[in-house]
Amino acid sequence: MVFVTCKDTVTGRACCVVLCTTEEQNLVKELVGLSTRDRIRAIRGLSMSFKEKKHIRLQSHAFRCFADCSENVSLVSVSLIIKQYNTNNQVLIQWSCFKLFSQSFRRCGYSIKSARQTLKLWQSIMKEIGGRFGTSVLSYFVFLKWLLMFNIFSFLVNFGFITIPLLVYDPSPNIPPNVSFTGLEMLTGAGYFTYTIMYYGGYSNETLVGLVKYDMKLAYFFTIAYEFKCCLSCFPCLCLSLYSMASSFKKNYVLADPTSNSAWQLLSSWDFSITNERAVRQRKNNLRVQIQESLSDKAQRQLLTLSEKLKHLGVYLGFWLLSTSLVVGCGVSIYYLCQYEQPAETLLVPFVVSLMNLVVPLLYSLFNKFEHYSSHRRQIYALVVRNILLKMSILAVLCYYWMNVVAKKFSCWESVVGQALYRLVIVDFLFLMLGSFFGEFLSNVIGTRLIPRLGVPEFDVARNVLELIYAQSLAWIGIYFSPLLPAIQILKLFILFYLKKVSLTQNCQPPRRTARAAQMQTIFIALLFFPFFVGSLSIVAYTAWRLTPSEQCGPFRGLNSTFSVVGVWMDDLHEIPGSQWVIWIYENIIKSEIFYFLMTLIIMAIIYIFWQVTQGRKELIGLLRQQIVNVSVLYMCL
Amino acid sequence: MGNKQTIFTAQHKYLKLFPRLFYRYRDLAPQLVPLDYTNQPDVKLPYELIGSMPELKDNPFRQRIAEVFSEDGEGNMTLDDFLDMFSVLSEMAPRDLKAYYAFKIYDFNNDDFICKSDLEKTLNKLTRNELTEDEVRMVCEKVIDEADLDNDGRLSLEDFQHMIVRAPDFLSTFHIRI
Repeated sequence: MVFVTCKDTVTGRACCVVLCTTEEQNLVKELVGLSTRDRIRAIRGLSMSFKEKKHIRLQSHAFRCFADCSENVSLVSVSLIIKQYNTNNQVLIQWSCFKLFSQSFRRCGYSIKSARQTLKLWQSIMKEIGGRFGTSVLSYFVFLKWLLMFNIFSFLVNFGFITIPLLVYDPSPNIPPNVSFTGLEMLTGAGYFTYTIMYYGGYSNETLVGLVKYDMKLAYFFTIAYEFKCCLSCFPCLCLSLYSMASSFKKNYVLADPTSNSAWQLLSSWDFSITNERAVRQRKNNLRVQIQESLSDKAQRQLLTLSEKLKHLGVYLGFWLLSTSLVVGCGVSIYYLCQYEQPAETLLVPFVVSLMNLVVPLLYSLFNKFEHYSSHRRQIYALVVRNILLKMSILAVLCYYWMNVVAKKFSCWESVVGQALYRLVIVDFLFLMLGSFFGEFLSNVIGTRLIPRLGVPEFDVARNVLELIYAQSLAWIGIYFSPLLPAIQILKLFILFYLKKVSLTQNCQPPRRTARAAQMQTIFIALLFFPFFVGSLSIVAYTAWRLTPSEQCGPFRGLNSTFSVVGVWMDDLHEIPGSQWVIWIYENIIKSEIFYFLMTLIIMAIIYIFWQVTQGRKELIGLLRQQIVNVSVLYMCL
Repeated sequence: MGNKQTIFTAQHKYLKLFPRLFYRYRDLAPQLVPLDYTNQPDVKLPYELIGSMPELKDNPFRQRIAEVFSEDGEGNMTLDDFLDMFSVLSEMAPRDLKAYYAFKIYDFNNDDFICKSDLEKTLNKLTRNELTEDEVRMVCEKVIDEADLDNDGRLSLEDFQHMIVRAPDFLSTFHIRI
């Protein structure tokens, strides 16, 4: 038997450990793991003499002590001491090693968890906004945060896979000698920046030979493709979080089942147990809004005579024609302005575009006041559709100009397009800031001091969400032409969050319509996302597929189209053995049309199945409700 | 309020909170309420004190509740009335008892029928008088259309009970925690 004394480095007390023989080792090892009471019970049950039992008890107790004080004993001091006594000390070392390892692992886990808490960006601010202003306003901020995360991811991917290899290989940009950095580049994006890694033109098309052979062309192509694919696949997360917010909102605020439309149910749903004065007030408010909505849904539909209906129809058509002609006018004027703008580096076009994006929606709101919509929901839909039309057509005109005119006119046209997008993003940001000032601050001043009848303004979620999506579409289109544009977007979104938050808390009041209209707003954000994303994706896809990359700059110079990069790579792969499966996949799956046809069929079948399941569940809910009613009737009759 | 004694004793079996309720009643006016109730003293607390209780002070129907359960119909409650009130509004009271009292609460003019004016008053109390007159009128007409089974233009207790059946969470909403 050997005694080991080790000194606890923290408390300084010595603890004594007894090393034991082999067959006792296993027994003691088992006993040490138990709690004191179980250990005593187990030792009592052993078939040994009293003396041996006492010995076992002492050892297990000593091991336990050692294990406890080894929390503060470093591994080095233990092993030094143990080395002096080289007997069966396997159990001891194993035990201490295990204990120390699990300790450090646990501590590491705690520090990771606390780091994650701090990383949950803006958690407290969003809670405050959600509590004060409700879910529809909160959904705007959730969307903003989601876009910011996506832009951060996009920037990191771009920077990591495209920019860093280039910087490592060739750190100095090849700028012509007469160009120097002036501060104006920050605004126009041209001049010094044109030759840097900011734009497409600054990237080389070579295969960089360093530690590995890194093909810049393939890297550029696949990185961009990967980002778009990630955006699409992360989009369901956004939908899910927004939907869960909307449905929890519905549970708390919608007092009665909206499908039954029974006024009596609204009346008998008053909860007598509410004692908080604010809750009572809010409940009354909700009830009033619900009653008003259920009334307006039905009443106006019945009251209109034929002539009134025709008159309304005429008014709608007239205003729709007016809005469409406005949109067409904007588009045409932007096209001619682009052509007329000679030194293409002025801010005239972005300025005019942003001005139109600011002014025309105001005109649309004005039109809305003259049209009499039967329900608030239709009013919002009409406004949103018109705004979408405006923004999409402006983007379409700009893209058409870039694809058809710029692509043929300039030698390094992708950089030119990248610069144009950079300028659009910057000017759009400036106008967003101004819009926040005019939209919210001035409305507040007007509503409280000048025309008190208007009251404090509400935060217009629809308009803000559209502006955000428009800004993001510019960034999406720009990813191809200017890989570092997400960095600008990150800065923009970050500042915008704080700006909107301050503006919201200072100038706006919580929305009064807390029922169905607000619920709808959280869901339509998800719907708006799609057209813009698909549009941006198709612009980039068209550029990659149809347009010839410029001859003198960029990673795709000399090729017929960007997509042919993959074809060239496949040809190269023929020479490398072991990559036959990649070629097989390319030939038989990606290039064949049957694959896409089958995929479409499968997806449609899955959608149909889910839809049927949903319908079935709705019917089941209806049946169960009816059963509840029947059971209650039975109970009343008894 | 005929047969009040039987209702009183029948309701008490739903009430396991008697001592606590007594002290709550006494706390409203300690100088008026004696601790010793063996001689059945005739003590009535005025409506203002009842209506200031935290459970009732924000309830839009507190005046009607107090009037319905009070002996004199004015809202001044004895201990019996107080106990009645909280026992009917507790979780254990049966559905038809609650329906009976809810009917009485919504019947503002005490004519054993909920007529249009009663409904209008109910709606105004529930929406802070912010609906327009037209809207109030339309809602009340809709309610009477849906609920009136015997087509006399007003709701009797049977109509009301039939309506309650179609709102299965009525039991949980017609409930005050104390």
